[in-house]
Amino acid sequence: MATTSRKRPARGKRNDELEEKLNLFVDAPADDDDEEKDSDKSDSDLSEGFDEESGSEQEGEYDPFANFDENDSDEDDEDFKPSDVSDEEDKSISDMSEGEDDTSEDADDEETKEPVTLRKKGKQLKKGKQQGESRKKKAVTDDVIESSSRPAVTGESPKEPLDNQPSQGNDYEFDSSDEEDIRNTVGNIPMEWYEGYKHLGYDVKGQRIVKPEGRDKLDEFLNKMDNPDYWRTIFDKKLGKDVVLNEEQLLTIQRIQQGFYPETTFDPYEPYIDHFTYEKMIHPVTRRPAHKRSFIPSLTEKDKVSKLVHAIKMGWMKLPSEIEADRKRKEEEEKKGPKFYDLWGKEDNTKMTRRHHAHIAAPKMKLPGHEESYNPLPEYLPTEEEVLAWNEQDAEDRKSDFVPKKYDCLRKVPYYPRFIQDRFERCLDLYLCPRQRRMRVQVEPEELLPKLPRPKDLQPFPTTQAIVYEGHKSYVRSISTDQSGEWFVSGSDDKTVRFWEVSTGRCMKTIEMADTVLNVAWCPNPAVCLVAVCAENSIYIINPHLGDKMVASGTDRLIEGYERPEEMKTSPLVEWIVVEDEEKKEQGFRLQLKHFKAVKQVTWHGKGDYFSAVIPDGGNSSVLIHQLSKRRSQAPFKKNKGLVQCVAFHPTRPFFFVATQRYIRVYHLMKQELTKKLLSSARWVSSISIHPAGDNVLIGSYDCRVSWFDMDLSTKPYQTLRHHRKAVRQVNYHHRYPLFASASDDGAVMIFHGQVYNDLLQNPLIVPVKILRGHVITNSLGVLACEFHPTQPWILTAGADATIRLFT
Amino acid sequence: MRIWIFARVLKICKMAASTSSSVGSHLQARFFTKQKRFVVGNTPFSVPANVGVTELSSLINKLLNEDKAEEDIENVEFDFLIEGEFLRVPLASHFEVTQTSTEAVVDIEYVVKQTAPEPVGSILHDDWVSCIHNDGDRILTGCYDNGVRLWGRNGDNIATLQYHTDPVKCVCWIKSGDPVSLLVSGSHDQTLIIWEWNEREKKSQPLHVCKGHAMSVDAVAVDQSQTRICSGSFDKMLKVWSAVPSSGEEEPPEIQEQQKKRVRRDDSTPIIRTPISTLDGHKEAVSSVIWTGKDEVCSASWDHTIQMWDVAQGSNKSNLTGTKAFLSLSHSPLNGLLASGSVDRHVRLWDPRIKDGAVVKSSLTHHNGWVSSVAWSPSNKDQLLSGSYDKALKLWDIRSPKAPLFNMTGLDDKILTVDWSIPDLLLCGGADNCLHMFSTAEALSTTESSTDGNIAD
Repeated sequence: MATTSRKRPARGKRNDELEEKLNLFVDAPADDDDEEKDSDKSDSDLSEGFDEESGSEQEGEYDPFANFDENDSDEDDEDFKPSDVSDEEDKSISDMSEGEDDTSEDADDEETKEPVTLRKKGKQLKKGKQQGESRKKKAVTDDVIESSSRPAVTGESPKEPLDNQPSQGNDYEFDSSDEEDIRNTVGNIPMEWYEGYKHLGYDVKGQRIVKPEGRDKLDEFLNKMDNPDYWRTIFDKKLGKDVVLNEEQLLTIQRIQQGFYPETTFDPYEPYIDHFTYEKMIHPVTRRPAHKRSFIPSLTEKDKVSKLVHAIKMGWMKLPSEIEADRKRKEEEEKKGPKFYDLWGKEDNTKMTRRHHAHIAAPKMKLPGHEESYNPLPEYLPTEEEVLAWNEQDAEDRKSDFVPKKYDCLRKVPYYPRFIQDRFERCLDLYLCPRQRRMRVQVEPEELLPKLPRPKDLQPFPTTQAIVYEGHKSYVRSISTDQSGEWFVSGSDDKTVRFWEVSTGRCMKTIEMADTVLNVAWCPNPAVCLVAVCAENSIYIINPHLGDKMVASGTDRLIEGYERPEEMKTSPLVEWIVVEDEEKKEQGFRLQLKHFKAVKQVTWHGKGDYFSAVIPDGGNSSVLIHQLSKRRSQAPFKKNKGLVQCVAFHPTRPFFFVATQRYIRVYHLMKQELTKKLLSSARWVSSISIHPAGDNVLIGSYDCRVSWFDMDLSTKPYQTLRHHRKAVRQVNYHHRYPLFASASDDGAVMIFHGQVYNDLLQNPLIVPVKILRGHVITNSLGVLACEFHPTQPWILTAGADATIRLFT
Repeated sequence: MRIWIFARVLKICKMAASTSSSVGSHLQARFFTKQKRFVVGNTPFSVPANVGVTELSSLINKLLNEDKAEEDIENVEFDFLIEGEFLRVPLASHFEVTQTSTEAVVDIEYVVKQTAPEPVGSILHDDWVSCIHNDGDRILTGCYDNGVRLWGRNGDNIATLQYHTDPVKCVCWIKSGDPVSLLVSGSHDQTLIIWEWNEREKKSQPLHVCKGHAMSVDAVAVDQSQTRICSGSFDKMLKVWSAVPSSGEEEPPEIQEQQKKRVRRDDSTPIIRTPISTLDGHKEAVSSVIWTGKDEVCSASWDHTIQMWDVAQGSNKSNLTGTKAFLSLSHSPLNGLLASGSVDRHVRLWDPRIKDGAVVKSSLTHHNGWVSSVAWSPSNKDQLLSGSYDKALKLWDIRSPKAPLFNMTGLDDKILTVDWSIPDLLLCGGADNCLHMFSTAEALSTTESSTDGNIAD
C-alpha cells in the first residue's frame, strides 16, 4: 500500500483511484458493450494479467485474503448477512474439499468461463458505461506516462494500465497487514452507518466513494445460478462490490481451515540448528574473548562459602548427613524409651562439645552414706571419745561436718541446723569452681643440661696412674717431652734438670743447675736435640744426647759451627755465652743466655729456631725473642702493656700470643702489629696453650678457671670451666688426640675432651671426661705442670710432691 | 666293695657338708683324669652342691687310698676342671655363674694341683734389669748399666760383656754351643751387638755391631734356624739381620776400609753389620718382636697394633688391632696363641689364625698396672707368666681366666721383664736391680696333660 500511496501523488490526479475502483466494476461491461475487439483484447489482457499476477503470487493472494479477513472479523454485522456468506463459503469450501479433481477442473473452467462472467457483469452495469469509458481513457494515458517514466520499479507491462486488475495488484504489491485499507478511509466502522447515503465513504483524497448499484434478490439468484464462480465470490462491504477469490486464496483458506500454516512454502519441520547447544563445540559461538570473571574466582562466592564453612564449624549449620544422623539417633532413642540423667554418675569427660574443648564440670556432692542416715547401723555411730575428739578438732580438720546420730523414727529427727551453711558452701563450690585448665610446664632440671656424649664413648683418654717418676727432691716446676715421645725433661726447685725414659720411669740423666729451674722446654724441631732450661737470670741451651745419636751430634756441630758475624749489635739485655767449661759441656750445656733479670718462662717456636723468654720484671723488655741460629735477641715490644705472664707462638702462622694478667694480645710477627685482644674473664692468667690447629686458645688462671677461646668466634671465652677448687697452674692441649688438660693446686688434673671441627659452623665440643688424682698436696701446692705425651693419649704431670706421674 | 666305698664317700661328703655348715642340694658328678696314676672309677657320685676344691680333693684322695690300699699315696692336692675351666668357688656357685644345668651327671676332671713356684734366689745387679734370656745353663741379662751379664743357674756371675754405650734393652741367645756360643743384645745406643762367648776360655768378644736403627733398640728375636735376627726399635722400624758371624767382606767398601784399619789396630773391634731388610709399617715405636714361623715375624707396637710380617717378602701379612699400646708379646708354639701385655692392665690372648671376627680370645685381668712382659710356658700349653709395673709376677692358667694360679708378690719395684725359656725356671727382673728366680716342679703333670691333642680349653 505504501507504494500505491507513493504512486498516487506521482500521478497527480485525485480521481485516479476512484476511477480505478469504479473501473473494477464498470470496465468489463463497458468493454463488452463497446466492442468485441476491445473486450477480447481486454479479456485476454485480463486473463494474461491475472495469470501474471497469480504467477507473482503477491497481489492475487493478498488483497482478497485481507478483505476476507476483514469480513470475517466483521461477521457480526447485521447488514452483512453472515448466514449467506457462510453458507456460500461452506458450500464453496465443501465443493473444493470434495476432490482435487474438481478444483482443478474448476480452475480449468475458470479460465474459460471468466470472460463470460465479466460479460455478465458488464451487462448488468451498462448504465455507467459512458462515464467509465471517458475516465478510463484518461487513466490509460496517465498510466502510460507513469509506466514509461518508471517501468523498472513496478515491473509492470506497458499494457497494464489498460486493465483494472493489474493496477489493483500493483497497489497491494507491498502491502502489509498492519496498514489499513485506505481505498476507503472511513476506518473500521460498521458500514450500516452509511446505509442512507449514496456513498460508501471517502477515498484518500477525500472524494466520496459512490455506492455501486444495489442488487436485488433476483439478481443475486441469477448470479448464483449463472455465475460458476459464485461460490468463490464474496462481497466487499467497504467497497460495496464483489470479489472473486483466486486459486491461491482458496488454497490459503483451505489450509487455514485444516489447521495448517497458511503459507505453503513454510516448512515447520525443517531441521533445527541449535546454536547455543549445551555440547562443547570446537568453535566458539562468538569471537569475543572470555570475560575476566570467567577465570577469576569469585570473591562473593568465596565469601559465601567461607560463611557456610564457618557455620558448619561452629555448629550453627548442619550437614545433611548430620541431620540424617541426628534424626536416626532420635528415632533410636525414642524406640529405647525415655532416658534419665544419671545425676551421680561419673563425669564423662570424653564427650567434648565443639565449642568447649576442655569443659570442666561443676564439682559434685558426695552421695549420702550410712552415716547420714537418721538411724545408722551401730558401727557408724561414733564413740564418746570420738565425739569428744570431733568437738575439739578445728572445723577445717574434721573428716566430716557432722556427727552421726541415731533416732528411733524419722519423726524425731530435728531440724538440721547447718542447712543454710551447707547450701551456702555448696553454692560457693559451684561458684568458685575453676572454669579453665591451666597448663603448667614441668621442667626437669636435668633436661636443661646440654646433651653430652658419655665419656666412655670418647676414649682414649688417660684414666689411671701408670708410672711414678721419682728422683726429684723438691717441687717439679716444669716438664717437657721430646717429639718422639721416648723421653721427657723435668725441671725442679732442687736445682736439677732430669731426663727420663717415658716407658720405664728411668731417670736417664740428671744435670745440676746453679739455680732453681723454673721452666724447661724441649725444642720441637726433630732435627735438633736441644732443651732450653731457664733458671734465674739465664736460659741454658742443653744437648741431652738422648734419642738419635746422629741428631745429637749434628746438633752439637750446628752449635759449634756458628760463626759470629763481625758487625753484630750486642744487646744490653741479653748476653749469649758459649759454654766452654769441659765438665759442663760433658753434662750437655751448650749455650747460656744471661738476661738482665730473672726469666720465668721459655717457649719455642714450632720450627725450633726462635724461642721466647718472659721476664716478668723486665718492664718494657719483658718479652724477648731469641734466634738460635744467629744468636740474636730482640725485644719486640716497646711499651709495657702489663705484667706479662706467659707467651706462646702460633703453631703454624706468624702469630705471637702474649698473656698479661687479664688480657691475651695476639701480635702478627711479620706485620708487627696487634691483631687481636682476647678478654679473659680471669683475674690472673697463669698459662696459655694454643690448639695445634691454631684457632683455639686455652687459658688457665689462678682464680680456678680454664677458659677456651675460639678465635673465629669472639674475643671473649667460648667456654669457661670452673671445675678446679684452687689455682690452675697449667693447661695443655694434646697434639694428636682431641684432649686437653688442666693441672691445679687442688691436686687434681682434669682431662677434657675438646673436639674442634673443621666445619666452621660447628662449635667445639668440650666434655670433661676424667679427674686424675695422685699427687700429694705439699705446702698447698698441688700439680704444677702437665704435658701430654706427643703420640699416645697419656699425660705427664709434675707435682709439688717432687714426683712426676704418668697417667694412661 | 664298691658300695662300701660309696658309703665312705657319702660319709666324707657329709663331713664336708657339715664343715661348710649348710645343707644344700646334691648333684651327680663323675670324676676322671688324664693322669693315669690317679685314676679312680667311672662311677658317678652324689656330691653336695656346696663343696669346694679342698673337699673334692680330699674325696679323691680318699678314693685313691681306698683303691690302692697297699701302696699308700700321700695326700695329693688336686685341681678340678669343669668344662675346661678351673673350679675356684663351691660347685653350686660355679654352676650358677656358668649357668650349666646340674640335673645331669657332671663330668669333673681333676689334675694334680700345680705347686707354687718357689723362689730360689735373686741376683743383684748394679742397675735395673731390662731383659733376660735363659738357655738352660746360663742366664743372660741386660742391664741399665750398659752391660750384658752372664749368670750361672746357681747365681754366680760368669761374665759381663761391656761394649754398649747406653743401657741394654734386649738380649737373646743365638746359639748356645760348646764351647762357642753366640748372643745378641740391643741397646739405647741404637745398635745391636752380636757377641761370641767362649765357654771354655771364659772370654767374650763383640763380633758385629749392627747399625741401622735411629733410636733405641727395644726388642730382638732370633729365628729357629739361628741364622737371622729381627730387631724392633723405637724408630718404628723392624730390621732383619744376619746372625751368622763373618769376616768383613759383606761390608760396604768404605766401611770396610775403616774396618781394616781398626782390625789392624785392635783385634777385638767388632765389624759393622747392616740390615738384610727393613720392615716399615708401624706408626709408633715397636716394643716387641718374636718369630712365629720360619719366615714369619710378629711385632707389637705402641700404635695399638700387632703386625705379622713375611720376612722373605718383607711385607706385612696381617694386623691385629687393639685399643692400647702394646708392650710385650709372646707366642706359644704349643697352642698357637699370642699373648700380649699392654699399657692397660690386661693380658690378652690372640688367635692369629682367625682371620675375621673376635681375634681376642680372652683377656686375663688381675694386674694393676702396665703389663710389661709376658711369656708362655715352653712346656705347658695352658700356662703363661706375666710381669707388671704393679710389682707382681703372675702365673696364669688360661683355663682359669678370672684369677691367676699364683701371685708372686713382694718385689720391691716394677718388673720390666720375665722369662720362661726353661720349663722349671721362672725369671723376672726389674727396677729393683734384681734378677728373681723361681722354680716350678710341675714337670710330671704338665707333660702328661699336654700330650692330648686339644688346643686351648
